[in-house]
Amino acid sequence: MRNKTFTVDGREVALNSRMTGKRITKEVIYYLCGIVLSLLFLFPIIYMLATSTKSESAYAAGAGSLAMFLPDFAHLGTMFDNYGSVLTNYGIWKYALNSFLYAVIVIVLNVLINGLAGYVMAKMNFPGKRLFSALIIFLIIVPVETSIIPLYSIVKIMLGLKQTASILGIILPASISIFNIFLFMQFFQSIPKEYEEAARMDGASTLGIFFKVILPLSKPIVATVAVFCFIGVWNDYLWPSMILPQASEGEWPLMPIQAALTTIQSMEGITTGEIMASLVITSIPIFVIYVAAQKYIVQGFGSAGLKM
Amino acid sequence: MTGSTLIILAVFAAGFIGLAVWDIVRSKKKIQKYRLRSAATAYLMLLPAVLLAFLFILLPILYSLGYAFTDYYLLTPNDINFIGFDNFASVFKEIGEKGTLYHAIINTLIFVVGVVPLQIGMALGLALFTNRKVRGVKIFKVCFFAPVVISLSVTSFLWLQILSPSETGLLNSFLGLFGAEPHDWLRDPKTAMLCIIILSAWQGCGFQMLIFTSGLANIRNDLYEAAALDGANAWQKFRTVTWPGLRSTFVYIIITVFIGACRIMTQPMLMTGYQDHTVTLSYYMYTQGYSYRWVGYSSAVALIMTIVIGTITLIQRRAFREK
Repeated sequence: MRNKTFTVDGREVALNSRMTGKRITKEVIYYLCGIVLSLLFLFPIIYMLATSTKSESAYAAGAGSLAMFLPDFAHLGTMFDNYGSVLTNYGIWKYALNSFLYAVIVIVLNVLINGLAGYVMAKMNFPGKRLFSALIIFLIIVPVETSIIPLYSIVKIMLGLKQTASILGIILPASISIFNIFLFMQFFQSIPKEYEEAARMDGASTLGIFFKVILPLSKPIVATVAVFCFIGVWNDYLWPSMILPQASEGEWPLMPIQAALTTIQSMEGITTGEIMASLVITSIPIFVIYVAAQKYIVQGFGSAGLKM
Repeated sequence: MTGSTLIILAVFAAGFIGLAVWDIVRSKKKIQKYRLRSAATAYLMLLPAVLLAFLFILLPILYSLGYAFTDYYLLTPNDINFIGFDNFASVFKEIGEKGTLYHAIINTLIFVVGVVPLQIGMALGLALFTNRKVRGVKIFKVCFFAPVVISLSVTSFLWLQILSPSETGLLNSFLGLFGAEPHDWLRDPKTAMLCIIILSAWQGCGFQMLIFTSGLANIRNDLYEAAALDGANAWQKFRTVTWPGLRSTFVYIIITVFIGACRIMTQPMLMTGYQDHTVTLSYYMYTQGYSYRWVGYSSAVALIMTIVIGTITLIQRRAFREK
């Protein structure tokens, strides 16, 4: 609804310029509203970042003023001290590394296992296929309520109480996702048959076709699944804290970063600034992923709409 | 335990073989036929997924149904007895005596009733606000979306500091400027759930905003032009074009937000602990099943909850779909 411009008639030009004046006020109000709303959404995050740079005394000194949202300008040299102490004294990097490793393994397994299943469901015909189609649809539609405790008892009985085995308890359940099978299936169905037929003419096996033809053609969906796997594993809090043992003194901990936050929070003598620094460190990788993989995340949201 | 796993596995396998044989018999009558080699490859490729899905998805669901009728105590997995509807009797007794479960139900209701309209309303408002082709709108979207990126546990710990009861806490120190006494927001039963509702809506609504935005993008522009030609004002355009165009998006969002809200647990768990004034249903089930190890009782609560949520979801679908 742009204003039409008439340059012939003097009166209409006047009317038009008045309209633009009104439009400018409207735009200014729009942007002001936008900024206020943005600040409403960002203030906790700004507060988190600002506090992470402060010592306990600087934090207390700034209470109740705008300084709470600003870094400690008086001590800019020691800005990253909290990060240093969280990384070394509390060893948060170990937990972060754990999270990374779990995420990478889960991504690889998830793409392989669900990708293969999606490929079979999309492209191959075999007796009994209907059972699997029905199961996929059923499991996607029905909202299953908290089966986490039965899952816990199954995993515990399967793996026993051995420390290292409990890592499998993190990785294996995260490697299967009915929804990802469904996503792969949908995507593979859109790949024309000719690609596979050409490869088959060249004597490729079914597995060979999957790895050399189908997967390279499916980069977008692989990326979407990988990104959501990463976010899922990185942000998971409850399950790891149930299944993994607490590390004893001098041992490499098995906890991923989110579950470790609880331990770090409750440590004696930890300052508000250090807590905030640990929260920032925990959030950075996800921020990076969101910025780097925006396209695939939006695609993922689009396909989330299919979940109906 | 292993016995019942084998029984479930046998039923599953029998169902599969029955269907497969039926398929083969039917295919003999038609021209289409299955090739043994390709079928074998298909089964092999499906095997890892089927194995994991059976163990970690199907089995837990079936077990939680079954456990609800047993006295399963987590530490004695070899001594599980069928006790009929005793767990359900305890559930209703607990509700009747206004025990923790009663509070969990009330708190979950408060949360759902508060957060669903708030979060969806905010998301819709923000989506409409950013649905303009002007410069800078993308930055606004990023700002509104930023909290979604933060995990639930980080959100909880962050707001724990913001709502800190000390006078140097963010909220208290600013209210202190107006002469207010420091308040313990999360321990006061009057404000605790309200705080959790607000921070949850803050954290989540950016996600639904994006879904609404893609829904808005699907509405054809000529409908708006036609409405403008008919002299419709902004509200009329919203009612006659935007709203009907968003219907399916809205149904999807209301169902997912509703189910998500019913499952709330991380925030009260990390922010207040197991307290009567903030305990929620999921948190109650988790504590009963994991911390107190009464898996049977916890599964009974889960089963009731699944039935209730499933029914409400079905009603929602019906109510919003038809018309």
